[in-house]
Formats: sequence, C-alpha cells, structure tokens
Amino acid sequence: MSKTASRPDWADDVSDSEQINDPTALPPPVTTVNKDGTKTTILYRLDDQGRKVKVTRKTRTTVHKERVNPVVAERREWTKFGLEKGKPKGPQSDTTSVGENIIFRPSRDWKNVQAEEAKTGGGKAEEKSLKEQLRDKKVKCRICSGEHFTARCPFKDTMAPADEGAGPVADPLADDDESKAPGGLGIGGSSYVPPHLRKGATGAGAGERMGGKYERDDLATLRVTNVSEMAEENELRDLFERFGRVTRVFLAKDRDTGRAKGFAFISFVDRADAARACEKMDGFGYRHLILRVEFAKRT
Amino acid sequence: MRPVLLQGHERSINQIKYNKEGDLLFSVAKDKVICAWYTSNGERLGTYNGHQGAIWTVDVSPDSTLLASGAADNTIKLWNVKTGECVKTWEFPTAVKRVEFSEDGKQLLAVTEKRMGYLGTIVVYDIRYGEDLTDQTDEHSLKITCEDSKATVAGWSYLDKYIISAHEDGTVAQWDAKTGENLQVVEAHEYDTTINDLQFSPDRTYFITAGKDKTAKLIASRDLSILKTYVADTPLNTAAITPKKDFVILGGGQAAMDVTTTSARQGKFEARFYHKIFEDEIGRIKGHFGPLNTIAVHPLGTGYGSGGEDGYVRLHAFDKPYFDFMYEVEREQARK
Repeated sequence: MSKTASRPDWADDVSDSEQINDPTALPPPVTTVNKDGTKTTILYRLDDQGRKVKVTRKTRTTVHKERVNPVVAERREWTKFGLEKGKPKGPQSDTTSVGENIIFRPSRDWKNVQAEEAKTGGGKAEEKSLKEQLRDKKVKCRICSGEHFTARCPFKDTMAPADEGAGPVADPLADDDESKAPGGLGIGGSSYVPPHLRKGATGAGAGERMGGKYERDDLATLRVTNVSEMAEENELRDLFERFGRVTRVFLAKDRDTGRAKGFAFISFVDRADAARACEKMDGFGYRHLILRVEFAKRT
Repeated sequence: MRPVLLQGHERSINQIKYNKEGDLLFSVAKDKVICAWYTSNGERLGTYNGHQGAIWTVDVSPDSTLLASGAADNTIKLWNVKTGECVKTWEFPTAVKRVEFSEDGKQLLAVTEKRMGYLGTIVVYDIRYGEDLTDQTDEHSLKITCEDSKATVAGWSYLDKYIISAHEDGTVAQWDAKTGENLQVVEAHEYDTTINDLQFSPDRTYFITAGKDKTAKLIASRDLSILKTYVADTPLNTAAITPKKDFVILGGGQAAMDVTTTSARQGKFEARFYHKIFEDEIGRIKGHFGPLNTIAVHPLGTGYGSGGEDGYVRLHAFDKPYFDFMYEVEREQARK
C-alpha cells in the first residue's frame, strides 16, 4: 500500500517539476515502464535562469488502426500551397468551422410531419397572439368601469355591476328624445329608473343581489385571525392568490385609527383552493404574528 | 449531423466537385480563386491562384493529378493538383461555363458561352499525363457548335461514347463523342427554360438535369428517354444523384435578382431530397442563406456538399437515419 501511495498521482503528474539547486551536470533521463503499461520518464533540464528542473512525464500509448486508401494517405501528407502556404497542419479557424447540428430524418410523409410541427408551433403562435391581444386590451371593471379587474374593485361590495347599456340613463340620445317628447313629464320620461326596472335586474334576482353582500356563499371563504395591525388588503391578497382565484379580501379595520382589527375574510372561487390555502396558511408567519386560518362559519 | 462550413470564398460559390476517392473537394466561386479542401476535417489544402475573372466551373481528373477550371476571363486553366501550379492555359473568345474530364481522364470537354457574335461551342481537348504536365496540346480535338441554342452544361456519357449537353431552351442533346455528330435532341424541360445543371450517375448510364422550370429529370444516356421527373416549388440550380441510396438531391432557390419581381414569400434555400424511384420528396436540409448553386455528393455516398449564393460551402456527413430510411417495398425486397 505504501508503495502505491508514494507513486506520483496520475492526475497531477503532467508537469510535476521541482527545482534542485545544484548547478552541476544533468543526470541522464530515466524511463521506467509501469505495471499498467504506461511509461514514466524523468528528465532534467536547465531553465532560462540556469536552475535545474526535474520533469516527470507519464505517457500512455494507444494504437488506433485505420485502413486508408494509400493514395488518400499520400495526399494527406501534401504540403499546403497558395493562400494556405506555410500554415500549420489542421483546419484553420478562419476558413473552417462547424455548423449547428441538423437533424435529418428522411420520411415519406415528411410534409405531414412538418405540417404537424408547424401546427404545434402555430398553436403556440395563437396563444402568443391571444396574449398580445390581451396586452393591448384595457382592463375594465364591470362595476365601476375603472381600469382594474372587477374582482379588485373597491366598490365591489357596495355597488351592483353596471350593465353594458347602463339603461336609458346613460344614453344621451335617448334622453334627448324623451325630453323633446310632449308631455314627457311623468310618463316614464324622467331620468330616474327604479332599480327593479333597470336593465338586467329581473324581479327577484335584483332583490337577491341587494342583500347579496350578507348572504354570499361562504363555502369558499376563509377567516383569518391574528392578523397584524399593520396588515394591508393587498398583501393578504398576494398571499392567498397563490392558491387560486380570490374574489374578495375583507380586512376589518378600525374606523378611527385605520388600523387593522386583527381579522380578515378571504373568499375563493373554488372551495378546493380555499381548503388548500387553509391548510398551508394556517400557522404562517406574517408580520411577526402567526396567522390562524379556518373556514368562515356561516352566521 | 453537424455540417462543416468552409469559408474560403468571398463571393457566391459556382461549383464544387469531389475527386474520385472523395477525400478532396474543390470549390470555385466568383472571386477568382479555386480552393482545395480535405473533406474529412474541412482543412483547406491550398488555393490555385491565376484566374482574372469569376470562375464558373471546375473538374478534377480521375487520378487527382490535374485540375481543370473555366472562368469568365475566357480561359481554361489546367492545374497541378498537388502543387497548385498552373500547367496550361487555353484561351477562348468567350467565357467558359463548364469543364468536365471524360471517364478515363484522357479528354476534357468545355462549354463556351455565346456572346459578342460568337456562337456557343463545346470543345474537346486531349489531355496528356506525362512526366511533364505542362506538355499539353494547343489544338482541340473536336469542336461542336451549337447553332440553335447555346449549351449551358455538358458531360460525358458511359464509356465516353456520347457527349450530352443541356441547353438554354430546355432541350438536351446527344452528340457522338468521336465525330461530333448530333444524334438526338429531346425537349426535356419546359420550352425556353434554362437547364442549370447536369450530373451523371456513377456508371454514367443516366443523368439528372436541373431546370429553371422547377423540375429535375432523370434521363437515360442511351436514348435520352425521360425516366423520372422530380417536381419542386422553386427554380432549380443543381441536382445530384446519391450512390449507395436511391435518392437525388436538388438545390435551388429564388435567385437574388428575381426576389423583387416575384410574389413568393422568400427563400426556399434548402437542399431537397427525393426518392430516386418513387419521385417523392422525403426531406429537406436547411442551412444556406442564399440559393444553392451547386451540390456534389461524396462518391462513396457518405455525405454531400453544397455551395450557395451566400459564399459558404457546407459539408454534410449523413448519419444513421439517412441510411436506414427505406420504403416498405424496398424493405420487403431486402428481406427476400
């Protein structure tokens, strides 16, 4: 074992040189054949500062046999001429380079294969174009027509969604016509339309919507307690949106101080998302406090 | 496969040619020098300098000692392949568009351009391979004058029996290689469309022509009967027959000067592979930025090279799927 340890390591033997400060004559090179068929050559030389350097070189010879047409082999040895005259052997980087890999698979219906590829590529393109279409589209709230998603509307809990036509009120032309009409007073010509007659409000549906704020489906709503006083709705939304689409975030705040009261409700579209959020966020550290998350109880 | 790119030329490539063993490749371009390359690693062996104009064509003798080139400076030059020295120059009144050594290398044919009151001709020279390569004849042994339509390309049929020429008007003609007698003319391609290339099969019993009419035709040398037609969607500049596998490779693309006058989207600068017998297109290889001007197949069928208007020569070595590809019929045939 000790013998093998004393042998120079194969990895660092390439130019294992050490200086011997003896300026006398150089010992002759020694070549020994190792067991594994490699050769170790130890030779000494003087470097440019006159110091003696010992060089240990380990070589392994491998023989590659290749059958070549003798004419071709002879041509391989020709000296270069013309613009290449005097250039070293081997490809020159200025004239020869290796191109990118090409996959070539001949196939009888290669056109169909290609068409399919194009189709999948086309599908991606469509997706992309859809994304681009959306990028150019302005986000518009259905409730207040502001530039945000309806789900994020600040008035979402206090206002009913405005309908596309927005009733006769929003139509100035119609308004004009009515005001010009003789005897317009009183005969439905007024600008006020009671809620139950508004477009889109169909009887009982409108009534339900009125009370909807308190009768909303709480199946997918989480109650979060032990929320920091400094908490903000946006932060909570960001925290919970990771689990699915959040429709509502309600953070109870003190009316006077504006600080959070310490609890919040988060409504999800999907109950499964809510369940996942409940499981993951219960015990989550947020603003130095540990959140407690549970499903909201129906009151 | 990873192609090897050879950037020895500054202008568009006009022709590339393998020698008989396929270890050397010669390329000529519009930039007045001929380059010789080792095909195994893409190393440039040297250049042959001396032409004064764009070089249209090149060919190497079967024993790879002599190289012939024809150029727009109205000369054919003969070169010593090994040393790069010019050993002979023949002068003509017009440019030389195509040179080709006969099968045994003892004759060289050249196609000269029709211009400035001179008719297009096909001339044949005897080539000597003596100790002194500069010892060459000054006089041509045969001269064929093309009175109707100029020849664009020409070659030797099997046993050097005929000279086959392809013409500007889409016809292919067969001439007796001894007497220069016109034996046969066939309208192979659409009338009045140039035939840009003509390459023989290894045994020279049939050849392929590439036409501006977007087709390539496989034609028998003996009776000029059209054996196969390959239809492409772009004007073709070149076509080659692959040994070992029954394929043909076609190359072309929208010519730069036509890009503004055609509605075609662009490009189509791909090498197209067709099955030689079933005439189906079986694949394409992309890579060039311009139309393909020339394609040459390695004589052993292991690879091919293409030269384009973009000035690059690309050397491809075929890999396994290429050799494995077979039609069901072929596979059954192989099983029997």
